[in-house]
Amino acid sequence: MAENMGESRKVSLQKSAERLTEEIQSMANYKNLYTEIQKLVASTAVKREDFKNTLLEALKSNGLETEIRNTVFHWVRSQGSLSAVSEASTEEVDLTYLKKAQIQWERRIQKSLNSTCNELNVPLARIRPNADREELAEKWNELSTYDIDLSQYRPLYAPKDFLDVLFSIRNPSFKKQPNELNWEFGHIQIRVKTLTQLRHLYVELAKGMSLLGVNPDMSSSENFTNLEEERIYIGEKVLKSNHAPIAQEFLKRGAPRALRGRLWSLVLGSTVKQNDLEYYEELKSMVLQYDIVIDKLIIKDVQLTARNDDQYFVFEDVLYKTMLCFSRDSEVLAPVTTDRSAGGQVIHAVLQGKPATLENTLVFPPSGVIPFHGFTMYATPFCYLYDDPCAMYYTFRAFYLRYWFRLHTVSSHEQGIVALCLLFERLLQCHEPLLWIHCRNIHIQPVKIVFKWIMRGFSGHLPPEQLLYLWDLILGYDSLEIIPLLAVTILSFRKENLMQVNNQQSVEAVLADLSSLKVVPLLQLALLRE
Amino acid sequence: MARRVSASGTDKTKVTFCTDVDKSVIVHNFEKRGWVQVSPEDDWNFYWAVTQSCRNIFSVETGYRMDDKQLINHFPNHYELTRKDLLVKNIKRYRKELEREGNPLAERGDGPGKYLYLDFIPVTFVLPADYNMFVEEYRKSPQSTWIMKPCGKSQGAGIFLINKLSKLKKWSREAKNPFNPNLTKESYVISRYIDNPLLIGGKKFDLRLYVLITSFRPLKAYLFKLGFCRFCTVKYDTSIQELDNMYVHLTNVSVQKHGEEYNSKHGGKLSVHNLRLYLESTRGKAVTEKLFANITWCIIHSLKAVAPVMANDRHCFECYGYDIIIDNDLKPWLIEVNASPSLTSTTVNDRILKYKLIDNIISIVVPPDGVPDVKWNKCPPPEALGNFELLLDEELVAQEEKEYSSGKYRSSSSKWK
Repeated sequence: MAENMGESRKVSLQKSAERLTEEIQSMANYKNLYTEIQKLVASTAVKREDFKNTLLEALKSNGLETEIRNTVFHWVRSQGSLSAVSEASTEEVDLTYLKKAQIQWERRIQKSLNSTCNELNVPLARIRPNADREELAEKWNELSTYDIDLSQYRPLYAPKDFLDVLFSIRNPSFKKQPNELNWEFGHIQIRVKTLTQLRHLYVELAKGMSLLGVNPDMSSSENFTNLEEERIYIGEKVLKSNHAPIAQEFLKRGAPRALRGRLWSLVLGSTVKQNDLEYYEELKSMVLQYDIVIDKLIIKDVQLTARNDDQYFVFEDVLYKTMLCFSRDSEVLAPVTTDRSAGGQVIHAVLQGKPATLENTLVFPPSGVIPFHGFTMYATPFCYLYDDPCAMYYTFRAFYLRYWFRLHTVSSHEQGIVALCLLFERLLQCHEPLLWIHCRNIHIQPVKIVFKWIMRGFSGHLPPEQLLYLWDLILGYDSLEIIPLLAVTILSFRKENLMQVNNQQSVEAVLADLSSLKVVPLLQLALLRE
Repeated sequence: MARRVSASGTDKTKVTFCTDVDKSVIVHNFEKRGWVQVSPEDDWNFYWAVTQSCRNIFSVETGYRMDDKQLINHFPNHYELTRKDLLVKNIKRYRKELEREGNPLAERGDGPGKYLYLDFIPVTFVLPADYNMFVEEYRKSPQSTWIMKPCGKSQGAGIFLINKLSKLKKWSREAKNPFNPNLTKESYVISRYIDNPLLIGGKKFDLRLYVLITSFRPLKAYLFKLGFCRFCTVKYDTSIQELDNMYVHLTNVSVQKHGEEYNSKHGGKLSVHNLRLYLESTRGKAVTEKLFANITWCIIHSLKAVAPVMANDRHCFECYGYDIIIDNDLKPWLIEVNASPSLTSTTVNDRILKYKLIDNIISIVVPPDGVPDVKWNKCPPPEALGNFELLLDEELVAQEEKEYSSGKYRSSSSKWK
């Protein structure tokens, strides 16, 4: 029996190894890695007579072993779900209606996009006229001066519209009054964690370990004057080791400001290499070459969000570049559309004035992501971390591919927006029952109050510093569950004021200003065992 | 020292205030404290005045005598700090004095006129008086740009850039002979233009910091922690064509407000807190800390430079608006000091900030019992500071030194008890 299990493990290991060897070859930095190893083999460090041992030794000593380990780490992460453990449990129930809802939602967005084009009489895509291309190229670093009339353009949808879509989801096996909007997500059978399980996941917070973001002058156990100094010392060692998993572990207790950018890049595998620089340039040239209607929507969105935001307005120009390049990035398409949360609907656009042949047809937009009101906010906080637009781009992209796309697509994924809303509701109902009942009595769906926070991962709602601490935790624990937890914690923190108001407007007023909140102490308080 | 009877006794005299600055942030703050507004002719305890009214009160002709229960928000000769030419003069004198004393702070740097530690204002000359000295300096590096500012004006009025001596000569011909001091009252300062400013998002900015002085001798100074950066709306560009485009070069909100790109939601203002986050993240902790330490340094020494010439009237306190530019090597440069920093609120955040500013100023300058009193020792308790932090209190420093030398010194926290 035991032998049998050992045997089957061996087989599955063998299979994984085969898949890895095959898939690693299509990864972006494979070519680079391969060349480096070839160079190493040709060097005197590797002896012919003891090839295997000397090669392994040489790989270790020049850091390539770490590179390979990190590559495997990123490959494993890119496979399947964030937390594969609970996958089995969700398959017990039929959730195909969520997939259908997503397909319908994607169609609706596409329809709305098409009607925008028809109304304004603009093509989905065309070759960019020469004059326009020149102007765009010239103003690439200062696109705030790229003057085009966008007064007719409106965002395709806003978080509010998406929430309506979520509320209208019908579980076919759940009997309910027809035409009545759902009050909550309780009928959707996705398993979400309880507070006890969250305490188990966020064990460092639950145990009351000292964290950055509480008080940097907090005394430290070691030979350091304070916690911040200790974290900087360890953080620098982590960066030097160059091990992605260690960096991820380190983030659980908060990143020092000066190291955060490099730590995030390491965890996400988004450190910029030569081929990334070239690819980024390609994206830029694609923007210059094609004029797609998405460009207008992107520019409009930056104008509506970052340009008016006193935390982010200085970064307006770099955000135009980032978001435009993102729309052309076909490497985004595959991971997003093949994910089981996606409906897999893709538009193909034929270039205006060209025959509908294959070479004149492009996936529209190449990234497959159609922006909505506030989409830019997924990128804004990275402006504080990186001076270099390219470095900023790749970390933003990696973050999006790992987390953010789940916040604007309907899916049964345990990290998807539906599960997160459900988690929020369960936590509120269990741990703030009075508040829950109060919401019921005044006819306000609790999710409605916090949805904009959740959908943006709190970007734009918290001051940048606090937001970055929150996102440290997302990366450190590789989970978005901290977001609904924070939402509940904030409501709980402002409970007294909330209990005194009885309409949507006043509720929003109580929660409008989050600028005084300290995220880490709040979360720690919520997770500490009583 | 004995508490004054009237403050805690049964005599419930209302505190009165008057102001000729018609700003709601001011009036609201007084009214919140239950103070009653009166006119300047009545008996007032607290006068928030424009500089002109303050000068009238202190002028010999009016012969106004303030009593112990009156406070006013300017020092009579604040212009020693806030007039561009006098500030320069005072700093130059201060450096020379330190040098004469053999003070190590006055150590010389590379090149004539350069100081290692006290080099925090751009090289500046007063025109027309120092014209020849300016020409001499100009010839040393003819490629650099200079900025001309009228001494007595504010909000960016009358400022222009010069990159050729001929342009200065042309201006002097046109501006009806300003080089004859008898014919014109207006003098200018000409300073080396900081042409490598730190840019964020490609845009130039300066810092506006608020510094509260409750006494010059001994010096008692507080820094408001909620300062902000003021951004130009247009990308920074040093090309000759843009030399006359003031939207590129001047960060004053009063200038930028007229630009096409001005945004009324944030007013081009970014908090110092966020600036620090950005700098620490992108440039590192050590250099950022050094920058902020240097900013404090340049504020303190500008104050020490004027302290000996200030009329240190005990009825007075003053909140100055410090304008500082950071260059690309993260070195701060003191550009100028304003006696009446704008209290106009351009955005919602601005309003909140200025409201807090006034509130915190009042709680620092008024004794804990809430009644203005010039006999109070001007040592507010820590909870009265609000968003201000103590930069320097020479009295406390002297006390500590005394206690230390006499062996009574125990811990630094004892002074708060």
